[in-house]
Amino acid sequence: MWPPISTRSTLAEALRGWPAPALDPGGPAAAAIATLSWVLLALTGLILAIVLAAIALALLGRPAWRAWLSGERLVWIGGVALPIVVLTGLLIYGLTTTGRLAAAGPPGEMRVRVTGEMWWWRVAYLDAAGREVIHDANEVHIPAGRPVTFELEAADVIHSFWVPRLAGKLDMIPGRRNVLRLQADAPGVYAGQCAEFCGGPHALMGFLVVAHPPAEFERWRAARLRPPAPPSDPLAARGAAVFAASGCGACHRIAGSAANGLAGPDLTFVGARRSLGAGILPNNQGTLAGWVADSQAIKPGNRMPPFRTFSGEELRALAAYLEGLR
Amino acid sequence: MGLKLGSSGAGAAVKRVTFLMSAGLAAAACDGGAVQPRALANAEPARGRATIEQVGCAACHHIPGVRGPKGRVGPPLEGFAERALIGGRVPNRPDLLALWVRDAPALVPGTGMPPMPLTEAESRDVAAYLYTLNAR
Amino acid sequence: MTSETGFDPKLLDRFPTRERRPPGELEELERVWRAPGGWRRLTVVNNNYVGLYYVGSAFLFFLLAGVLALLMRVQLAAPLNGLLPQEVYNQVFTMHGTVMMFLFAVPAMEALGVLLLPQMLAARDLPFPRLSAYAFWAYLIGGLCFFASIFFGLAPNGGWFMYPPLTSKIYSPGINADFWLLGIGFIEISAIAGAIEIIVGVLKTRAPGMTLDKLPVFAWAMLVFAVMIVIGFPAVILGTLLLELERALDWPFFDAARGGDPLLWQHLFWFFGHPEVYIIFLPAAGITSMIIPTVARAPLAAYRLVVLAILATGFISFGVWVHHMFTTGLPVISVGFFSAASMAVSVPAGVQVFAWIATMASGRVRWSTAALFAVGGIITLTMGGLTGVMLALVPFDWQAHDTYFVVAHLHYVLIGGMVLPLFAGFYYWTPMMSRRALSERLGRWVFGLFFTGMHVTFLPMHLTGLMGMPRRVYTYLPGRNWEWPNLVSTLGAVLIAAGVLIFLIDLARNFRFAAEDNAGDVFGGGTLEWLPTGLYSTRSIPRVTSRYPLWDDPDLAQDVEAGRYLLPGAATGVRETIVTSPLRAEPQYLQRMPGPSVWHVLAAVFTAAAFLLLTVQLYWVGLASGVLAVAFVLRWVWETDWPMNAETAELGAGVRVPTYATGPASHGWWAMVVLLTVVGMIFLMAAFSYVFLWSRRPDLWIAPPPAAQLLAIVAGQAVAAGFALAAARLVRRGGAGRVLAAGAMIVSALAGAAAWALDIGGWRAAGLIPVASGQGATVYALLSLQGLLTLVILIMAGYVAVRVARGLVSTDRTSTVDLVSLFAVYTAAQGGLAALLARLFPGGG
Repeated sequence: MWPPISTRSTLAEALRGWPAPALDPGGPAAAAIATLSWVLLALTGLILAIVLAAIALALLGRPAWRAWLSGERLVWIGGVALPIVVLTGLLIYGLTTTGRLAAAGPPGEMRVRVTGEMWWWRVAYLDAAGREVIHDANEVHIPAGRPVTFELEAADVIHSFWVPRLAGKLDMIPGRRNVLRLQADAPGVYAGQCAEFCGGPHALMGFLVVAHPPAEFERWRAARLRPPAPPSDPLAARGAAVFAASGCGACHRIAGSAANGLAGPDLTFVGARRSLGAGILPNNQGTLAGWVADSQAIKPGNRMPPFRTFSGEELRALAAYLEGLR
Repeated sequence: MGLKLGSSGAGAAVKRVTFLMSAGLAAAACDGGAVQPRALANAEPARGRATIEQVGCAACHHIPGVRGPKGRVGPPLEGFAERALIGGRVPNRPDLLALWVRDAPALVPGTGMPPMPLTEAESRDVAAYLYTLNAR
Repeated sequence: MTSETGFDPKLLDRFPTRERRPPGELEELERVWRAPGGWRRLTVVNNNYVGLYYVGSAFLFFLLAGVLALLMRVQLAAPLNGLLPQEVYNQVFTMHGTVMMFLFAVPAMEALGVLLLPQMLAARDLPFPRLSAYAFWAYLIGGLCFFASIFFGLAPNGGWFMYPPLTSKIYSPGINADFWLLGIGFIEISAIAGAIEIIVGVLKTRAPGMTLDKLPVFAWAMLVFAVMIVIGFPAVILGTLLLELERALDWPFFDAARGGDPLLWQHLFWFFGHPEVYIIFLPAAGITSMIIPTVARAPLAAYRLVVLAILATGFISFGVWVHHMFTTGLPVISVGFFSAASMAVSVPAGVQVFAWIATMASGRVRWSTAALFAVGGIITLTMGGLTGVMLALVPFDWQAHDTYFVVAHLHYVLIGGMVLPLFAGFYYWTPMMSRRALSERLGRWVFGLFFTGMHVTFLPMHLTGLMGMPRRVYTYLPGRNWEWPNLVSTLGAVLIAAGVLIFLIDLARNFRFAAEDNAGDVFGGGTLEWLPTGLYSTRSIPRVTSRYPLWDDPDLAQDVEAGRYLLPGAATGVRETIVTSPLRAEPQYLQRMPGPSVWHVLAAVFTAAAFLLLTVQLYWVGLASGVLAVAFVLRWVWETDWPMNAETAELGAGVRVPTYATGPASHGWWAMVVLLTVVGMIFLMAAFSYVFLWSRRPDLWIAPPPAAQLLAIVAGQAVAAGFALAAARLVRRGGAGRVLAAGAMIVSALAGAAAWALDIGGWRAAGLIPVASGQGATVYALLSLQGLLTLVILIMAGYVAVRVARGLVSTDRTSTVDLVSLFAVYTAAQGGLAALLARLFPGGG
């Protein structure tokens, strides 16, 4: 019925920490920074070696060496001349890279708006006129090989959007809109995490960037512009009825249904997401049921209250319904 | 050969020894400490634990030894190895547990535990891990 | 040789004197300086005691915050570890950072200054002994109560940097954030008080002949430390004030919806926060600059370059704060400037490192625990400084900011740059104040465990950060490969703890406080703190002619002890020290110093109580406590500016100096100027806030009240200033001059109050309310600051009147009036400037 889990778990694959994501770039921005990082590591290693050698010689070296090292000359060379030369070079390198990375994209570039919430990510895809046409949460889909402009905002407190394999981070600050250009060179799933302390379960606020081959991305986008078909399976249909009757629509939106709440994540395509709870759980009927019934045990302090009013069958029906929203 | 129940010396002694031996065997069978491991062919508890973490069982259950949330939706699984029933309804047998773990509604239609995306082999691994959970 | 003050330097050639000292002179000196016993020990003001208590308290907070760190490390050793639930962890990491930075690092350096500077400068005490004692008690009481909040689950939980909007009332509804804001308040007061002490002490109470060119590097470092506190702390003082106003009264400084801006907090906080780390680092670098020459038995190489480097670091460090904000989306140009400045600030640090290496090369290092800690610190600091250069490059910072890479960097520079030198200082200077030195055998274990543990803990964190682990996370998911470096870091933390434990054992076994029969100059240091001392510092104050007086004059210790130098006794029968000129250290006058007193202790208790009561929202009791604190301060101040029993006093060998000074030569004047600089910086920060919020939302600014009002306000403040100046003139005239001066002060205070009332009334009439917008909030913040100062002047004008009525003011005893006048002139100037700013900029709405 199912392929083995090791071949299915894109979440686990994306979360892998070795090689170190910041030094394992998957896009041009991260690549530029990774190169800079290696240069810095090499340079600082060299300078440290020089300083350690100087200390060793000063303490244990031959009298001739020690005489050379004593006095003001060493201070001028090592403390003034050498740093000024090295730092000037580094500064030029750093500033030119900064300018390149911060350059804005051309006007027609694809735009995605991500809003940091406590403790999840509201995602909206913009059309050419700047209207939000597709809504999602905790997962962003982009075409591979092309830059995408991310508009970063915050709904409540300061968050920070960080996908180390693709680019540096950029803060999401209430009252401001920050712009980040991201490109993934190859299709794949890239893990991100909130990088500005936002209280409570800040540690459990992750997200995924999914890069598709361009043709596949167009198909994905087209599919997303249509709301999902109503559930055919009787259990899932029962779940839809439970959803509607339980007030879930007050916080959540499912396109093509009466549910249109904006307080919580958009659930129109929740079944297709590769994770739940903002990058912290795999997505299947079991975890869906667990989250709905008592998300506080999974992510304490999050804004969704536990729902202990469902019978076993109702809970399973809901889980089947939500899983079918893909 | 029958054992005449009488009070003659040798007979009484044999009777007593037999009684004690039977009691001892019964006691060994009834345990009082460790459970006999339930046999699952080709199943590895360590693989089962990894599978549990990857599939997210902890979203509903508090499972000792598993890194994850301590879910409160389903019963805690501490000491599961010694439980007589699964889900309060199904006998706690290896074959039934493996089936339950991947398709609980097939065994108990009213259960709140949905079917889980596990292969047969994976569900046996999971069962093997659950059978290592002895009560402290 | 030209003289700075008119004092004839040849007079100092009369020392050392040859005649025997009169009998009883030493006993009299001892009697005058004796510390009270029993419970009265709490009233002591002598720097030996206050310094010791201060260092001990700072070290206690180090231990407490260290325990918190251990808890954090155990929690993070495994993924989804359940040891510390999320809310507890958030409080623990916030307290770790806050306690380390505010209750340990800055106070420890200040404490060392209090303990060492008088001895190092051969002054009998710091110029304002009760002020440092007050600062200490407020800090200890307040700090302990603040720390106790964690046992009630009330500890702040927004990170040590407390960014709004997370710390605004909506998202932090409990009083946890208020604990931080008000809890930091009395620490800020302590720091400012200490800074005043140190600036005036280093510049005005040196041994005669100790020109700036001969000033010990530690003293230079403390001077820069204190000036940086004066310039930098006001930003956080204002910031905490604004955030508390927002939380308590809903004034929208940081609320984007009403024209506030979360980045305003970040600018204010980091304008303080970056210099803060150099405030912490520079004195420790000064310690290293004192220890390395001694253990290498060679003078510090490139002394002038090192001093320049300290000055340059202090200066440049005020221009780098935005490097904490590289990821906030600021324009590339501003980010580029701060990147350049952040790299520049590493140059003076490099100068000091190479000066230390050159010193070691020019001598022969004799190894001891102090030397081990000093050299270990240099290596660790260098590594931290190099990762700092990496972070100064913006693209790299975009990956590494807010990850464990920064945690690694900051601990390398703080431990390598401050904690290791501090331990070196402990081992080095303990013989100066204890009967026994610390154990060298145990010391090597302490060093080995601490140094090794430090690197085992923090070196892997560079990698952990680049592996994607952000800061301030109470846990992490399995499968990210973060568990291995985290486990290694936790093991390192255990090693550090073991090292500290052995240190505590050593301390308990060997440290026995003794001002007189201490262990002596065990390491063979050449600077003045190694002279034989008592509670009165040295028996006589030497004339200094070199940077290492004890090396250049082998008889110095003996001569000083025998009273052959200046001020060999209590010239006027009370505690005194010599006040000297700032550049060439020429004797100017003899300063009378206070002895033990209860008033500053009570003032400290009620100051701390006021802040803490306000935090727990017992407003009336808190207000009453504040009133009592002010009353006790006034009672304490009442004893200043007291008549001396002689107009001049003899320093020895016929050299006489006055016993009183007024005007810019007096230590009181200097203290007031420093205080006014602090107040001025607070005002500057408030003005910045006003302009900043306007630049963000000019559309929310309403038109100012009519211009005629502005003229009236400025005129009123001009009158206030004029009368204040007149008061200082009048008091110097005979006859009714004093009474007229008191009257002039009162008129000045009333004029200032009237101008202020007009100002605030005008804005209310114009329809501006503080909760409405960023303009409302900042205008009323400026008005509140002005109101506070106006209240102070009203009180002080009354104080002056009472002094005059009691006959304590005379034509040659004018300090009280001079200082109050200075404060009043400043208040008037600030009132005028604030009104001009708010009403003329940007103009019509």
